[in-house]
Amino acid sequence: MRLLLSRPLVCSCSLLVWLLLAFFPCAAQSTSQESVSLDDALHQLADRISAIPNFHGPCRLQFLQDSNFAAETAKDWQELFRKDLESRHVSVTEDPAAPVLRIGVAETPTQVVLSASARVAEKDEVRLVTASRTSFRAANLPVAPVRLEKQLVYQSPERLLDASSLWNGSSLGLALLLDREGELEVLRIDSAGAIQQSVPLSAAGALLSRDPRAELSLQAEAVSVLLPGKSCQFTWAAPAETKCHVVKSSWRGITVLTPSCDPGGWKLQADGSDWTTLDLLQAVPENAMQRGSAAILSDFPGPILSINGEQNPSSALVVTRNLRTGNYEVYKITLACGN
Amino acid sequence: MRSTKSLWLAAISAAFVLLGPTTTRATKHPKYGGTLRVELSVASVSLDPRTWKPGSVAAADYEKLSALIYERLVTLDDYGRFQPALAIEWSHDASFRNWQFRLRPGVKFSDGSLLTPKEVTAALEPLLPSGLQIAANETGVQIHAAHPAPDLLEQLASGRYFIFRVEPDNSLLGTGAFVLAESAPPAPSDANPSVLRPAHLKFRAREDAWSGRPFVDAIDVTLGNPPLRQILNLQVGRADIIDIPPDLVRKARQENLRVWSSPPDTLLALRLDDAQSGTADPQFREALDLALDRDTMANVLLQRQAFPAVALLPQWLSGYAFLFGNPMNLDRAKSLQAALPANAAGGAEPIRLRVDAVGDLMKLLGERVAVNARQANISVQIVPRSGSSTSGNTTAAPSPIGLHLFAWHYSSLSPRVELQALAQHLHSESGAESESVEEPFNPEKLYAQERRLLDERQALPLLLLPEYVGIAPNVRNWSAEPSGTWRLADVWLEPAGSASSSPEAASDRSVAPGVHP
Repeated sequence: MRLLLSRPLVCSCSLLVWLLLAFFPCAAQSTSQESVSLDDALHQLADRISAIPNFHGPCRLQFLQDSNFAAETAKDWQELFRKDLESRHVSVTEDPAAPVLRIGVAETPTQVVLSASARVAEKDEVRLVTASRTSFRAANLPVAPVRLEKQLVYQSPERLLDASSLWNGSSLGLALLLDREGELEVLRIDSAGAIQQSVPLSAAGALLSRDPRAELSLQAEAVSVLLPGKSCQFTWAAPAETKCHVVKSSWRGITVLTPSCDPGGWKLQADGSDWTTLDLLQAVPENAMQRGSAAILSDFPGPILSINGEQNPSSALVVTRNLRTGNYEVYKITLACGN
Repeated sequence: MRSTKSLWLAAISAAFVLLGPTTTRATKHPKYGGTLRVELSVASVSLDPRTWKPGSVAAADYEKLSALIYERLVTLDDYGRFQPALAIEWSHDASFRNWQFRLRPGVKFSDGSLLTPKEVTAALEPLLPSGLQIAANETGVQIHAAHPAPDLLEQLASGRYFIFRVEPDNSLLGTGAFVLAESAPPAPSDANPSVLRPAHLKFRAREDAWSGRPFVDAIDVTLGNPPLRQILNLQVGRADIIDIPPDLVRKARQENLRVWSSPPDTLLALRLDDAQSGTADPQFREALDLALDRDTMANVLLQRQAFPAVALLPQWLSGYAFLFGNPMNLDRAKSLQAALPANAAGGAEPIRLRVDAVGDLMKLLGERVAVNARQANISVQIVPRSGSSTSGNTTAAPSPIGLHLFAWHYSSLSPRVELQALAQHLHSESGAESESVEEPFNPEKLYAQERRLLDERQALPLLLLPEYVGIAPNVRNWSAEPSGTWRLADVWLEPAGSASSSPEAASDRSVAPGVHP
């Protein structure tokens, strides 16, 4: 019996990694080979429509969309679809008297459903094209605000708890603490975005908690993971020697950024208390008398789960969960001078 | 060498503690503790998935509470991705007929015993439909499907497919984040013995839950409280979560209560019953269908808290429901009725409509159907659930029923399975053979089958109802799975006047749960 791997095996073996060029000069992009775009699915639908017997148009297009991602780019894909149909010799018109070709894009819990319906020779012709929701490529990410620069540096469908930047003397990388199918693991990611090392912590007794607090700290080759009520240490050179012990957790304090043009620090603050709502990152001057005054704000696509300072005093790593895609994302936040 | 490394690790550990940060946090985090008080209208529950009937509205509540103590092999997240639950890996062959699931090791039932493949097989065997066979292997289970089952994960991630173990006393044990600690049936009130105290269930959080200890210590469920009392209890802080019937949602919102709604998960429809002569006539069925004013039912009777239903499956489940369109056409309904013979159904003899769905709102909806039918000169008479006419002689034999107003709760994430179950329900009630939607699984075949069911008008969809939940302001992290299961283990309670609550207590509570030294 030939077995085809389904999720989550595929997901866990091929984390979706987007390391942006600005952060890692030799960035690599990794996407699933099975992924399709809305455009691909619309091409398939146009093919199916052009094969309807005796249907050549001219027809008037009527679009119905019940899908977030399609709504974001409605004008683009509708125009593309119109051209696609015309290239297949189905003529399109704006004439209100022309027969209607209804095109629908909808999302179900697991699928994206594209539908076309037209009345041809006193008969309803319906064509449906479906694709798994997970196979659709993510849309473009929101643009970063002006002064608080925000760059996506990592994205994963697996639950990320914390991120820390790595510097080995010559290149940058990332260390990530994540929940991989119910097991805690620390990943070492190189500057090209490849997973260099994976250190499971469960063998040393660090088990998953519903409490999302977890912190990753790096000092040279040494790695420390702080969990509610527990602390674990290991070195990259000897991960098998991981040791965990009970501690009274003392969590890292507010991250303070110091841009090159301002000797005063800026505190990074977020709510992060509700996993179902969008979050706002605030950079507040450390000496501000009133909270929120002169704050620089940055929208995030979901709750902010952790904020961790970097070696560079003007930047930090922020872990969030994108509520639209469900992916966990790591952003590099830099407090830039001026506009 | 080993001791040197250990010393070095200890030194690193000490350094991290010494260099450790200050006490403030950049972000707020959930808090452990407290009891979540849930009130449901349903008077009793069955926590045995083997007893739930497909489409049953009551089973939706049973499923919510059962999800506290049992788990499924997989779950579906909000983004269309299946997530591991009791199964951590799964695979299938190219034909989608042979599936393998590897179980999460180390999962324990609430009595501390380990979950094994044998128990998963025993739990699922009586629940799986006849075309699916399950067998245990060393690390998990394999499911063989007689027909390709590309939607097996959708099936297993929803509905009654929980994993449990039946004890010798016929009680059921689960692996979920809660355990049933108390169950009290309705009992006479101490203060006034003539008044019944509602039934209570208490679920206690499991410290050793593999998915992490829930935030709340316990969930206290009160059953059978009338909706208005539930709303009052939510207002005065005696309840945290309540279910709100659609006709009271507007009132709840006007009183500034926090109301959450699900996608429409219950269908209200008319089933035509050949028992009363004349109802099988396609022309009569079409006339009745065209006379139904679903928009008014949704917007006026249900005060915009329901949606007109034009298909058997909702849009969110099929993705194509909008293709069907609203059939209302009163003029054509009248002309079709006029063309029927004088002794046809709804003419000389009224069509008897029985409201099978429970509740006053359903009776009102039945009356609305009768009004719409009358506008097309079709006479409809409401009969009580006993089967005799409201105005008829109760000692006479029950008259045959021509129309049933019924409610159907969608419980599967597979549109194919849901349509098949609904079609089977319609056919079994009418005594006819059901056509199954088997492979090759194809969305156009599914559409065609639904189209056929609608064209035959065995059922006339009326309305789609969402589930409405009233939520107290201090309840955080409220969400539900696409299957409708409430994620109550993730809910936490903001302590009253949280700024002044004891941070030490909160801190102490947050240390131990879910983490085992």
